[in-house]
Amino acid sequence: MKLAQYVVQRFIGYLLVLFIGITITFFLPRLMPGDPINNYISQVQARAGQSLSAEATQQLRDSLAELYGLQGDIFTQYRNYLARVVRLDFGPSFTYYPEPVSNILLDAMPWTAGLLITTTLLSWLIGNSIGLIAGYFNKRRWATVLEVVGIILYPIPYYILALVVILLFAYWIALFPLSPTFLPGPMTWNKAVSIIYNSFLPALTLILAGFGWNVLAMKALAVATKEDAYVQFARLKGTTDRTRMTNYVFRNAMLPQITALVLSLGFIFNGAIQTEVIFSYPGIGMTMRAAAGAGDYNLLYGAIILTIFSVATAALILDLIYPLFDPRIRLGG
Amino acid sequence: MIRLDNIVATYTTQRGHVNAVDGVTLEIPDSIVMGIAGESGCGKSTLMKVIYGDIGFPLSLSSGMVDYGFVNERGEPVTTENIRREWFRHISYIPQSSMSSLNPVVRIRDQFVDFPATAGRKKEVLAQVRAFVPKLGLPPEAIDAYPHQLSGGMRQRIMVAMATFFQPEVILADEPTTALDVVVQKSILLLLLDLQKEMGNTIMLVSHDMGVHYQITQKMLIMYAAKVVEYADTDDLFQRPLHPYTLMLINSLPTIGDDRARHGLPGSPPSLWEMPQGCRFAPRCPLATALCRKEEPPLLEHERGRFSACHYAASVPELKQTLQAGPRLSEIAHDTAQLTADVERDV
Repeated sequence: MKLAQYVVQRFIGYLLVLFIGITITFFLPRLMPGDPINNYISQVQARAGQSLSAEATQQLRDSLAELYGLQGDIFTQYRNYLARVVRLDFGPSFTYYPEPVSNILLDAMPWTAGLLITTTLLSWLIGNSIGLIAGYFNKRRWATVLEVVGIILYPIPYYILALVVILLFAYWIALFPLSPTFLPGPMTWNKAVSIIYNSFLPALTLILAGFGWNVLAMKALAVATKEDAYVQFARLKGTTDRTRMTNYVFRNAMLPQITALVLSLGFIFNGAIQTEVIFSYPGIGMTMRAAAGAGDYNLLYGAIILTIFSVATAALILDLIYPLFDPRIRLGG
Repeated sequence: MIRLDNIVATYTTQRGHVNAVDGVTLEIPDSIVMGIAGESGCGKSTLMKVIYGDIGFPLSLSSGMVDYGFVNERGEPVTTENIRREWFRHISYIPQSSMSSLNPVVRIRDQFVDFPATAGRKKEVLAQVRAFVPKLGLPPEAIDAYPHQLSGGMRQRIMVAMATFFQPEVILADEPTTALDVVVQKSILLLLLDLQKEMGNTIMLVSHDMGVHYQITQKMLIMYAAKVVEYADTDDLFQRPLHPYTLMLINSLPTIGDDRARHGLPGSPPSLWEMPQGCRFAPRCPLATALCRKEEPPLLEHERGRFSACHYAASVPELKQTLQAGPRLSEIAHDTAQLTADVERDV
């Protein structure tokens, strides 16, 4: 009964967060000076000279207003907007007119999700393992070397890291392609292999960029947890280093790291812009950049709402799985 | 019998080396409860560490070793060299902070079977544990709980259960009840005593509480500034201390029905870095003379079974007379059967 109550509470909170996020997304651009329709029409007019009649301009204005969902007063617009969000209908894209925004996002999503979920999980696993060992054996000299890996990797700006990796593995030692080419058509074994091969470099840069932080965070947590009374008592019980490192230090130190992992999974849809642009990778990041460059408001809206949705969902999932790892939340004090 | 032979335990610090235990030679008979008392920093916890065999940087043993007087599975005598392999088989430890000595995210039963001693036969051991815990006044299901679901007293009972389950020869308890309220304190100590009587282990108990020492220990070890100053049977030591430090320690105790003002100990113990020449207690001692300030008194057997490190051990009973503040501890029940009855009546 308590469990059901917990789940319902989290779910109501989740819907509330989504609603607030979507509402802010609606009002924020409307507080900005200028009017997208006027901007667009003045662009068209500048290109067409004075050849556009007032009538044609008005027609254009009306159809644009319909396209953008800008008809009626602000309340009507808000109501229509909400109804459309619920139906996942963000209208057509301008750049790829008349392709609906939701189709474009759906096409791009598996690329981004596949790349980023894999790399986020891998860099969490590798980084936390290294950090755990470095922290648990922090009095040994060789363990400091492990930490240095994190200290060196963490502050390197991502684009420099990516360029170095490209130079190394695509130029000097041409193991991997500079930009990916994916086989068209249905998923076959060959296509899967080519996807992995072509995604290797972007994945490598993301893992390298991501795990330095995990090393440092986990090391600090492990060093502190190691001194806790229960780990010291476990040592006096005669338990092995391995038991203490996994069952005692890691089981406790991983709790904040799980929070970090799930939240970073929520941010994957806006975290990939640099990677996708540098590697010409056909994901959400590329789509968003193209949309921003071309003034494709509908597409941008769609991408932003996708982000809100994934962050909020990640937080909900976190709330739902956290009790599995921490009995103090599951069973109350 | 446990023999400590000229133990010198040294901490390596940035300022240099410092001896926290400085030449302790002792013989502890089997199957007794021995209390260790002294001010903070006197070396009692370090002595416990040495006896437990928990020696590692920054603590090292500069001299001496402990001979435990029993043999391991291979028939070899157990000493400081190999005691670590006997942890929780032949020697166990009850920590001070029961509240935080259990892993908060793992069930207690899993923490009962991660000793090297239980490797490979966890199921069997768990069944035994389940049968064992009711003896300690715990429901068998208690071991299925997580630590936060148990009260402080129950958690300390779990710690006692862990320390006694393998029936070790020696149990070390470093202030095992300081975090608990007095009623729970009493029941835990009595539980420990009952188990000790049944199993015949040797318990070494560190406590600041002289009342606890008086009630449950058979022998007492008083430490001051890294040295043993007095070692004797508890009754003798409380009734007629042979070292001025012991006397003053006992004198500072409040007693029910005695409204005389307590005499605190003036001054504070010397820094381990700047030991005074001669007797280390001399600067605070009312009996100190030029001899005390020049020559360090050795720990001698002044009467049968009564060791004291004082040049004027014979004058201490006189000092007690002059201080006229003998605590009437004899008025406190010393009979454990009576205590058990008291607790049962209270509960």
